[in-house]
Amino acid sequence: MRWWVAVAWIEELFLKGEKRVDELEVYCFSGTSVSADLKQRRVSICSSSVESGLCIRTIDKGKIGSSSTNDPQQWQACLDAAIAGGRLATPQEWRGLPDPVALPKEDLAYDPSLTVEPAMAQELLHGMLDGAAAHPEASITSGGAGISLGEITFANSHGIRYASRQSEVSVSLEAISGQSTGYEFDHAFSRALVNPEKVGEQAAFLASRSAGGQDIPTGEYDIIFSPMAYADLLSAIFVPALSGRNVLQGRSKLAGRLGETIAAPLLSLYDDPHRKGADGSTWFDAEGTPTTRLDFVRAGVLTAFAYDLKTAYRAGKISTGSAIRGGFAGLPAIGHHNFVVDGKRDELFDEPAIYVHSVVGAHTANPMSGDFSVEMSNPFRVKDGALAEPIRGAMISGNFFDLQRQVTALGKESRSVGSYILPPVKVNNVRVIGK
Amino acid sequence: MTETPGIRYYDLRQVSGQSTHIDVDMGVIESAGTTFYNKAVIRVLGPRGWGILQIDNYTPVSGKKFDELLASAEKLALAAEDTISLGDAPRTIRAVPPVKEDCRDVSIGEKAELLLAVEKAADRPLVTSRRANYLERIENVRFMDSSGSEYSYEICRSGFSVMAVASRNGTVQMGYEPDHTIHGFNLRHREDMGRKAADMAVSLLDAGLAKGGKMHAILDPELAGVFAHEAVGHASEGDLIEEGNSVLKGRTGEKIGDASLTIVDDPSLHEFGFEPVDAEGIAVARTEIIRSGKVNSFLHNRQTLAAIGNGVAGHARSMPGEPPLVRMSNTFIETGNATDEEIFAECKNGIFLAGSRGGQVDPGRGVFQFNAEYGYLIENGEKTRMVRDVSLSGEILKTLHGIVLCGKKRVMHSGYCGKGGQSVPVSDGAPLVLLRDAVVGGSGVD
Repeated sequence: MRWWVAVAWIEELFLKGEKRVDELEVYCFSGTSVSADLKQRRVSICSSSVESGLCIRTIDKGKIGSSSTNDPQQWQACLDAAIAGGRLATPQEWRGLPDPVALPKEDLAYDPSLTVEPAMAQELLHGMLDGAAAHPEASITSGGAGISLGEITFANSHGIRYASRQSEVSVSLEAISGQSTGYEFDHAFSRALVNPEKVGEQAAFLASRSAGGQDIPTGEYDIIFSPMAYADLLSAIFVPALSGRNVLQGRSKLAGRLGETIAAPLLSLYDDPHRKGADGSTWFDAEGTPTTRLDFVRAGVLTAFAYDLKTAYRAGKISTGSAIRGGFAGLPAIGHHNFVVDGKRDELFDEPAIYVHSVVGAHTANPMSGDFSVEMSNPFRVKDGALAEPIRGAMISGNFFDLQRQVTALGKESRSVGSYILPPVKVNNVRVIGK
Repeated sequence: MTETPGIRYYDLRQVSGQSTHIDVDMGVIESAGTTFYNKAVIRVLGPRGWGILQIDNYTPVSGKKFDELLASAEKLALAAEDTISLGDAPRTIRAVPPVKEDCRDVSIGEKAELLLAVEKAADRPLVTSRRANYLERIENVRFMDSSGSEYSYEICRSGFSVMAVASRNGTVQMGYEPDHTIHGFNLRHREDMGRKAADMAVSLLDAGLAKGGKMHAILDPELAGVFAHEAVGHASEGDLIEEGNSVLKGRTGEKIGDASLTIVDDPSLHEFGFEPVDAEGIAVARTEIIRSGKVNSFLHNRQTLAAIGNGVAGHARSMPGEPPLVRMSNTFIETGNATDEEIFAECKNGIFLAGSRGGQVDPGRGVFQFNAEYGYLIENGEKTRMVRDVSLSGEILKTLHGIVLCGKKRVMHSGYCGKGGQSVPVSDGAPLVLLRDAVVGGSGVD
C-alpha cells in the first residue's frame, strides 16, 4: 500500500452519491504493460497496452447495484447506471461497508525497480531460448513474455482511501519433438523471481523426453501430480466448494462438514494473503476488508469457508477478506489471494509411481460431485528416484473429493501456479484408463 | 495519410459498446448492472514483425496525432526479428441479420422478471439450488487499414443460462441449459429451459458410473459438435500449423477419416459465431477443413495464408481490445444419410453420450479430451441404463477414421471458446454420429 493521493472526481463522486444512496465504493485500476511473442525461435510480435477502468458499487436499503467503465470521465453515467441496477436488486441483509483501518504502507507484490520496456521482454524470451538449447531435439513452437505494472485505487463512503501498486513478470514456452509436446511457464511480481532459462529448459525437456511413450494397461496406480496438474484439478473442483456462497446456496459438497476430516491428516490448505514473494499478496481485499490468513483445511480437518461481505451478511457470518475481482469490470466475488497446499514434506520419487506433469480437460469435471476423468500430459514412470520411461497417454479418473483422503505425501519444493502455491502431491490407488 | 517508410501495413480496430448482466440465485436478483467499454488495437507491420498498441478508452484521432500512434507501434515493431508477409483475400462485409426483438427495447426490469421465471421453473422436488444468468453485449466495431479499406457494423449477442442442482443422500448433481443468440432477445416463454435443467439434475441422481475403456460410442449433435471443434478445428488453425504445433501440418490431401466425413468452419453462417467480416477486414466464407475424409483446407489469417497456404483467410477474430488470432466460428460435421435406427443398430453394444461440459485439445500431440453431460449404455442397439460423468479422449489422427456413420439432421449449439487468453463466441454442431472404438473415461468399476 502507498500513501493516498486525493483524486478530485472520487471526492465529488462521494458528495453526489451519498445524497442518493446509503453507501458506495469505487475501485479503479490503471496499468501499463508490454509483451513479446515468439513464433518458433523468432520474436514476431511486440505489444504495449494502457489500461484504465473503474467499477462503482452502490448499496441502498440492502439493494446492491454496480456499473463499470474504462473511461474515468464517465463516472457520473456509471454512478447513474449503478443506482438504476440497484433499484432492481432484491434487498438483502446488509450491515455496512468496512471502515478504514491503518494498514502497512509497503506494497506486498510490487517491484519498484521494474520498468515496462520491450527490451526486458526480449531478454526474457532469449533467456527461455537459451534454456531450451539444452535439448536441441525439441523445436520451439511459441512462447511469450510480459511485464506489467498496475495501480489500484479503492475508496468507499466510510472513509476508506486505499491505494496499492502491483507488478507482474510472466514467461511461457511451448516446444515439440515429433508429436510430443512440452509446456512450461513462470510468473512473479519481480524479474529476479522469474527463471526464464529454467522454463525454456523444462519445456524442451518435456517435449523431448516424452517422445516414444509406451501405452500402459488400465488399472490402479500411485500417481504423483505435478503442482500444475494438482492446481488445475483443485481450482476446477475443490476450491469452488470452499466458497461461502456455494455453501449457502446448496452447491458445495463440503457444506455442513466443518470440523470433519475431509482430507488426509498430512494435508493443510490455506489462503495466505501476506505471503512474502507471492504474486497475490495484498493487505486489503476487493471490498476494502483487511486480509488475514484463512485456514480452510488444517491437518485434514475442514475448518473454514471463504466469505465476502454480501454472502457473509446473508449467512450470518463475517467477511473473511476473500473478495477478489476479475479485472476492473468484475464485481467482487469470493476467491482467494495465495492458496497454499502445505504439510509435512517427503521424498516422493523413492517408490515406483506415475508422474503427471499436466492434465487436459480439468474444467470439464463435475464440480458438484467431484467426479472427473482427464487425459494426462507428459506422464512418466518413476523408478529409482527419477523420471524413467515416458507413457504415451492415458486417462485418470476418480472423485477429487475422495482423492484428498488418498493423498500420501507432499514433495519438497513448492511453486506458484497462478494463485496457487503447492508442491507435487502423491496420491495412491488412482484409476488409470489405458488405451 | 503520411506513412513512415518502416511501416509496411497498419490497421486499427476499435470496439465500443456496453454489456448488461443479470444474475439470479435462488429467486433473488443477486446483481444486475451495465459495463461500458471502448477499446482499440492499432497494429503496425514493420520490416521484421508486428508492433501492437492496445488502448483503453480510445478517442479517434487523425493527421499528426494518428501518425504519432503509428510511430509508437512502429517502435515496438522494431523489437521483432521475424519475416512476415501478408496474403491477400477478398474484402466484403456481410449484413448483420436483423433481430426479431431488439434487446434495447426491453427494460432491464422486464428482463429480470423473465429470467426469474426461467429460474423459478427449475424449482422442482429434490432441486436444492437454482441459478440463472442473462448476458447481453452490444458492440460497435470500426475497422480501417493502410490499404484504405474501412468498415463498421453493430452486432448484439445475448442469451441466458439456467442451472439446477439436485441432491439426495449426499449425492449432488447438476443440470445446465444455455441459449445464446445473434437473433435478438430470447428470454420470453423459456420456462422449458429451467424445467429441462431441473429434470437433468434429478435424473442424474439415479445415473450410474460408466466403466471406462474402449467401446463404440454414439455422440449426440451437441457432443459431436464439441468433437469437431476440439479434435479437428483447433488443429486446423493456421497459426498453430505455422508454428509447427499441429498434427495436421503438411497433411493437405491426406485421408485421415472415413469418406463420409466432412467438417466445416463457416463464420458466414447466421449462428452464434457469425462475423460480418473478419478482424483484419477480410471477407468470411465457408471453409471445408475435412472434405470426404481428406485434409482439405486450413483456417487462416492473412499472415498464415501467406506463410503456409492450403486454406482460406477470413478467420481472424479478436476480443475487444485484443489483437486478432486465427479462430473458429461456427464449426460442424456435415450431415450424412444414416437414420438414427441404423446408427444404433450398427453400434449394437456401446455407449450413447450426450450434452457437453466442454473439452480441451493439445493440437501438437494430437490428443483431445471432452466431457459428456450424461450418457446411456447401449445394449443390443437399445439405450438402457443412464450413466454420468463420462468423458472421451483420443488421438486426432486415429479417431477420425472411427466416425463411420453420420445422421441426417444437424443441430448447432452456442458457446464460448478460449485461446491465448481471449474468449470469443462460437457455435458447434453435428448430426448424430457413430464413433467406433472410442476411448471412454469413467470412474465406474466392475
